[in-house]
Amino acid sequence: MKPSPHIDFDRNAREALGNEFLQRALRSAMVRFRELQAPVIAEIPEWQALRAYAHEVKLHTLGRLDRYLQQLEQEVSARGGRVHWARDGGEAATIIARLARGRYVVKSKSMTSEEIHLNEALERAGCEVTEGDLGEYLIQLAGEAPSHIIAPVVHRSKESIAELLSAAAGTPLPAEPEVLTAAARRLLRQRFLRADVGITGVNFAVAETGTIVVVENEGNIRLTTSLPRIHIALMGIEKVIPRVADLAVFLTLLPRAATGQRMSSYVSFITGPRRPGEADGPEEFHLVIMDNGRARIQADAEMRESLACIRCGACLDVCPVFERTGGHAYESEYSGPIGAVITPLYRGLRAAGDLPFASSLCGACGEVCPVKIDLPRLLLELRARVVRERGASWSERIFVRAWTWVMTRPARLGFAARAARMLQRLVRRRLLPLPYPFSRWTVSRDLPVPPARAFRDGWSK
Amino acid sequence: MSAREEILRALRAASYEAPLPNVIASNVLASGAKRSAGDRVERFIERAQAVGVEVIHAERPALVGLIAHHATSVGVRSAVIWEDELLVPVAAALQAAAISVTDRPEQADAGITTADFAIAETGTLVLTTSRGRPRAASLVPPRHIAVVSQDRIVGTLFDLFPRFGSLPSALTFITGPSRTADIELTPVRGVHGPVAVTVFITE
Repeated sequence: MKPSPHIDFDRNAREALGNEFLQRALRSAMVRFRELQAPVIAEIPEWQALRAYAHEVKLHTLGRLDRYLQQLEQEVSARGGRVHWARDGGEAATIIARLARGRYVVKSKSMTSEEIHLNEALERAGCEVTEGDLGEYLIQLAGEAPSHIIAPVVHRSKESIAELLSAAAGTPLPAEPEVLTAAARRLLRQRFLRADVGITGVNFAVAETGTIVVVENEGNIRLTTSLPRIHIALMGIEKVIPRVADLAVFLTLLPRAATGQRMSSYVSFITGPRRPGEADGPEEFHLVIMDNGRARIQADAEMRESLACIRCGACLDVCPVFERTGGHAYESEYSGPIGAVITPLYRGLRAAGDLPFASSLCGACGEVCPVKIDLPRLLLELRARVVRERGASWSERIFVRAWTWVMTRPARLGFAARAARMLQRLVRRRLLPLPYPFSRWTVSRDLPVPPARAFRDGWSK
Repeated sequence: MSAREEILRALRAASYEAPLPNVIASNVLASGAKRSAGDRVERFIERAQAVGVEVIHAERPALVGLIAHHATSVGVRSAVIWEDELLVPVAAALQAAAISVTDRPEQADAGITTADFAIAETGTLVLTTSRGRPRAASLVPPRHIAVVSQDRIVGTLFDLFPRFGSLPSALTFITGPSRTADIELTPVRGVHGPVAVTVFITE
């Protein structure tokens, strides 16, 4: 496999900060998500207990993935489905392309399929592919990548969306969300009725019944799993859970954390293909179980809890860094705090080692995560690994050494504090803005005026 | 070595034991616990209306007439209907009201189904598919009309799953009409599925 190119988060972030529409759209979208999520989370008094339960179930399952995946395989097969295994994204794409070869495909939003660039593989196999989710369809028309797990086109204005859809419909459309949505419905409905193959992701796969669960609001996943003759579902190995009863917890957590809904409009529980006598549903059901780097993360005791992620996007919505840079700055289908953790794990620290530093470590992501992933801890651990691998810069090393020297003796600290106070007052009066390299600090931060007397002096009296 | 063997071998090599928590019984959840049947109905109505569902109470003898009246008043001219004891007289009543009954969901203005269960806390309809109960009926036409019996309304998700022995090929939760907010976060109804959902609650 060729090495992934380096992700220059600094440059991407600077570019995003200069984009006025993006700044406004992101801010209002993130505020809106938070306003929707808070009340429906607050109304569940057991929220914390449910988070803990979900975390435990996921970590238990990750410990015995071998057993649960085999059970899942057995149950899917027993109900007439076919199970395929893929070591990596290339293999998964090849399996799916072989099943779909030359056919007409509709696809629902799936982060896992983005991860393996499935559409390109399908097009190479002579398939015509249409994204069914409205946001993903718009992304496909624009030839872009999604910028938020839940709201993939949050970076685009309704005017630019009107242009995309007008071109697709061959008739000018006004920049009104209602009209544009109705136009997309008409365009896409024809394609759903015509498709031979439907491809979806998987939110949860239940080992004890061989059931896959998919969650959505639009209905495109229901169309994808009801109308075409063949349904192919793609899952990462970490999506399996042991019991149907566990879904009561996961489905209480996911919609509230993701979109602030008590329940998403549609949840589909699919157990095998259509049964004798049924009027619709696929004749063939295929489940592709893909590793693509996950087993390696599972074996990494420090990082394995990142595999508990249920892709709700809540950590993006509270992240002060994401709120300003948006998803594209991460150059990965997984952005925000969870992206800053798993992208380096998938692509390596050399390519994505900047991302764990794209955080203020405010801790909000860890607090909201509905499956209680300790994201700040994971970010810090990755930072430590980056430093171990690359080594720290000379300035950082000198600084830390000096800091240690000062902080380990009270007399040195007292002296340094007095010196710093004097220096700082001088700086306030005549040296601002600070010259390079100190300007890298003051360009985005205030230098507070020091109090006249040190706290320690007051305390000792 | 096959991909399957290779993946399972790697996972086995890194396997570890961590406890699986006991399933949470519904009565642990204060929010759904010990609610009377009447309270559950009230809660379901409130929560379903909150997501844009129209809810109509119907005594059993009036049910068929009310469905036909509703269908006529919203301009339904053709409908697809699930095979269900409760719905047998509906087909005749619709035809009497000059509404044709079709088995082509893509040509129908409305799909009429029952719901196996409903969940009070979330305003959710729970539908199972089987012979004579196609998935498309509640999905493809622009309107979905569903009938649910009061005694099928459970408190929360935690009360629902114990009711199932084995699962059908498709079990579907429906909570309000199809919706999207993909364009500048403006909520719009009816992007792929029904624009309108009407629930008749009967005893």
